[in-house]
Amino acid sequence: MIDRATAPLVSVSGLQKAYGALQVLQGIDLTMKPGERLVVIGPSGGGKSTLLRVMMGLENINGGSITFAGKPYIHAGATPAKTAIDVQVRRSIGMVFQHYTLFPHLNVLQNLILAPCKVRGEKKSAATERANTLLIRFGLGQKATAFPSQLSGGQKQRVAIARALMLDPKLMLFDEVTSALDPELVGEVEQVILQLARQNMPMMIVTHDMWFAKNIASRVLFCAGGFIVEDGPPEQVLGAPKEERTKDFIDRVFHIRQ
Amino acid sequence: MAPLDFSVLLRFQDALLTGLLTTLELTLICIVLGCAIGFFVGLARTSDNRILRGVSGFYVEFFRGTPVLIQLFWIFFCLPLLLGTELSNFTSAVIALTLYMGAITSETFRASLRSIGREQYDACVALGLPRWTQTTSVVLPQAVLRAIPTLLSNCISLFKESALVSAVGMTDLMFIGSNISNNTARPVEVLTAVALIYFVIAFPLTRAVTFIEQRILTKLAV
Ligand SMILES: Nc1ncnc2c1ncn2[C@@H]1O[C@H](COP(=O)(O)OP(=O)(O)OP(=O)(O)O)[C@@H](O)[C@H]1O
Ligand SMILES: [Mg+2]
Repeated sequence: MIDRATAPLVSVSGLQKAYGALQVLQGIDLTMKPGERLVVIGPSGGGKSTLLRVMMGLENINGGSITFAGKPYIHAGATPAKTAIDVQVRRSIGMVFQHYTLFPHLNVLQNLILAPCKVRGEKKSAATERANTLLIRFGLGQKATAFPSQLSGGQKQRVAIARALMLDPKLMLFDEVTSALDPELVGEVEQVILQLARQNMPMMIVTHDMWFAKNIASRVLFCAGGFIVEDGPPEQVLGAPKEERTKDFIDRVFHIRQ
Repeated sequence: MAPLDFSVLLRFQDALLTGLLTTLELTLICIVLGCAIGFFVGLARTSDNRILRGVSGFYVEFFRGTPVLIQLFWIFFCLPLLLGTELSNFTSAVIALTLYMGAITSETFRASLRSIGREQYDACVALGLPRWTQTTSVVLPQAVLRAIPTLLSNCISLFKESALVSAVGMTDLMFIGSNISNNTARPVEVLTAVALIYFVIAFPLTRAVTFIEQRILTKLAV
């Protein structure tokens, strides 16, 4: 029998992804247990965003497969165009992007309830009630009728997180969600993600913020050149990396190692 | 030159008003029909279907690549021969200007559809929205909003271009104006007045375009 507590939530094997001749992911193997929070770090162009986009089902792949909670999720076909993606499984994954992706013609509340109403056929009143609860929890109670253009960057990203949570995801993907923000707005978004972490939401996070990485990670991946170069607990990968390339990167990018 | 005498305008004000109403009626009908055609042609031009893209592309390029005047003449004089039936002046003008407007506005819709960034589509996928919802709730509302300022400019152009129907004998503002001018031998007064009438209607709309454009761009800035 499979032990439910340790059975993998995500299992990636031999994942390959190329854009034309450019091989971006060169055979990624990765298992993620329920409740784990993976922080992915690495140099620009190393394939971090691509890995998350593939996990979200936004990209076709050239090789390998992914299972999610024991179910086949993504499977490479004979050509990238033949990639098989299970749409039902995809609905249990949520993602927040570096760029703002709120729907600008809809107000905050409408952004939140669009998917629950259209995808799950939830009643508008029920969805609205859940949305309001979430907004209050994220300190956005006053913003329900505001349009995205009337929000600060930090508020937009918090709304985007709330919008993803409306679908009760089993896994959240965050791709540099604070990179576009003014420094003083970074904290409020990170706090919301930390709040989710305390509730044991499984997540994969790409970030360049050392403080945040240390505080949120249960495991850190160093990704470069399309490979996972180092994979271990945060104290190891961030504090005392075994691989030379990881050490170089951390010295360069995170400046001060504590 | 004889001294200017603007009293001719008062004598013919009813005729000028009738002409103006014809111009406005024609323009409004062609705006509604033309925008409807333009919307679907714009969609067809961005569709994945090759045949749809080909046919719609040919239509647009043809009407953009020929003078409006020849389009008008063709529909006034050739189309009835092909159909073997008479078409009233008004019907012919509506057909010609609608087809022209359809071609022009389809480009506007196409540009606004293309201006919706990849991020919006990514967000739809990440939220698991079905294709139909993505189109009707996310893509089209934004495309239409973005199109509004340019559509308004298209409408103003059509309003001005509609003066060409006078060349095929339709009694619009331009036709009546030039008739009065010929009959009274007072071209300066009459033609200036006609130009001013066009201007008084078009100018505020031109200003409105700038204003609305800014409002929409601010709202849609993400
Ligand atoms: N749609 C695309 N078409 C072609 N090449 C792409 C595309 N998206 C990404 N790439 C390329 O794939 C490589 C990996 O990109 P990716 O965005 O995954 O890197 P990253 O690790 O997220 O970098 P960053 O830290 O800058 O965000 C880069 O060389 C990039 O130029
Ligand atoms: Mg990236």
